[in-house]
Amino acid sequence: MDDEVIICRCEEVTKGEILKAIEQGAKTITGIKIRTRAGMGLCQGRTCGRLIARLLAERTAQVLEEIPPATVRPPVRATKMENLVTSHGE
Amino acid sequence: MVNKADAVVIGGGVIGNSIAYYLAKYGVDTLLIERKDLAAGTSGACDGFIFLQSKKPGFDLRLALESTRLYENLADELSYDIEYRKCGGMILIETEEQLKAIIELVDGQRKTGLDVKLMRIPQELEPILSGHIIGATHSPLDAQVNPFKVVLGFAQGAKRKGAQILTHMEVQAIRTRTVRGELKVDSVITERGEIKTNTVINAAGVHAPVIAKMVGLDLPIIPRRGQVLVTEPLPDLVTSLLVDAEYITLKLAPDHRGTDGLGLGFTLEQTASGNLLIGSTREFVGYDRRTTYHGIKAITQNVLRIAPALKEVNIIRSFAGLRPYTPDGLPILGKLRGVEGFIVAAGHEGDGIALAPITGKLIAELVVKGKPSISLDEFGLERFK
Ligand SMILES: Cc1cc2nc3c(=O)[nH]c(=O)nc-3n(C[C@H](O)[C@H](O)[C@H](O)COP(=O)(O)OP(=O)(O)OC[C@H]3O[C@@H](n4cnc5c(N)ncnc54)[C@H](O)[C@@H]3O)c2cc1C
Ligand code: FES
Repeated sequence: MDDEVIICRCEEVTKGEILKAIEQGAKTITGIKIRTRAGMGLCQGRTCGRLIARLLAERTAQVLEEIPPATVRPPVRATKMENLVTSHGE
Repeated sequence: MVNKADAVVIGGGVIGNSIAYYLAKYGVDTLLIERKDLAAGTSGACDGFIFLQSKKPGFDLRLALESTRLYENLADELSYDIEYRKCGGMILIETEEQLKAIIELVDGQRKTGLDVKLMRIPQELEPILSGHIIGATHSPLDAQVNPFKVVLGFAQGAKRKGAQILTHMEVQAIRTRTVRGELKVDSVITERGEIKTNTVINAAGVHAPVIAKMVGLDLPIIPRRGQVLVTEPLPDLVTSLLVDAEYITLKLAPDHRGTDGLGLGFTLEQTASGNLLIGSTREFVGYDRRTTYHGIKAITQNVLRIAPALKEVNIIRSFAGLRPYTPDGLPILGKLRGVEGFIVAAGHEGDGIALAPITGKLIAELVVKGKPSISLDEFGLERFK
């Protein structure tokens, strides 16, 4: 996989940019997010999260299964504002 | 690992990194310690308003004006794009009663030197505003930044000037020694060892009281949660920073809780990447950083009152941050009596991003020259006694 490959499609973040963030000290998915915006797109990291976790595991000597997923806060899926006001319950 | 430094800064948020940068700029051998990651605390869960109009006329506003001046050249100085934009800001007025109160505020602010005027038809500048809004104040000086980038930019600038930044490392204790009957800072203890130093700067945000306790001192800082909604990226829709009059009431009367304890005040900005950030609440719920159904719904209702045309826009996520609240809404800055070499820079509540550059500069001057170029007397801990 070369550095130009897009890892986060929503925010158009390349593998190279993610590796640079790791070099600058990111050790978690949130750390990558803060530095590159990867994971902040419409899909909320559903598409890119695993790929990022794998790069982190590879480059920072962490066990893939032990890398915590990014914090997800509601709404879990994109929701129109008019539907947020009329919806009931969690 | 290093085992000594001239100054140790605790906390890798916007305040700690700004201090580290200005200290390094003065040539001080500086070490910053952050227990998680840079911007992992409140500075990574907030808006990017440099909003002058919400500041109390007088001292608070003066400091904010100085900070704005530093922000103007900061991107160049740091060679880092912090997405600074002098976009202007508005306080929206919905009732005659609000109009009266706001006119008084504007008067006071003008006297402190703020360029602010009253607009009768704010819809001309921001067409998304509802027709029921009868006016707005506008200041061209209000500006916007990307808070993540401010933190990372200060960190990079500090490193270039020789500071060391250690993340994922927690400060566990601070040792003191007694010199001629006076307590003095001696070293900082981390999980990876001891660092000798004469100067410790507590920039741990909502955790600053825990750090102060390590030298036996109490700080009146508690977390005040703010929930924020994020929309999908949109084409340019709003230029100005927007807040409503209730937001100003909440800011100027720090103990005002608003209706139903949510402390709801309207804020809206469009970021460089096109997302709208819509806030926010002011809640006392301890260290809980979750967002709530109740909060999200109330914020949505609020924004649809102000800009009904947004009803079709998608919310893609929410987040919450913990403002470091003090009883009068102002930060605690300076040396603490009782322990020589122990300095506090925390408690910036909802203004830490705006005040970061001036805080860093003045604290660095305090360390290097013993006296900052603007007196910090009014920000001392003693004011609460
Ligand atoms: C919803 C919301 C919106 C906001 N909007 C704005 C705005 O538009 N404009 C504005 O100016 N301000 C805004 N603020 C306020 C601003 O975010 C804060 O004032 C500011 O981020 C505080 O920065 P800080 O560096 O003091 O704290 P933090 O960013 O919390 O940094 C403190 C750091 O200390 C670390 N730490 C704690 N304990 C230890 C330890 N023992 N050892 C090592 N490290 C430790 C933490 O991990 C943390 O990273 C907003 C706040 C919220 C919640
Ligand atoms: S692919 Fe990264 S957020 Fe959607």
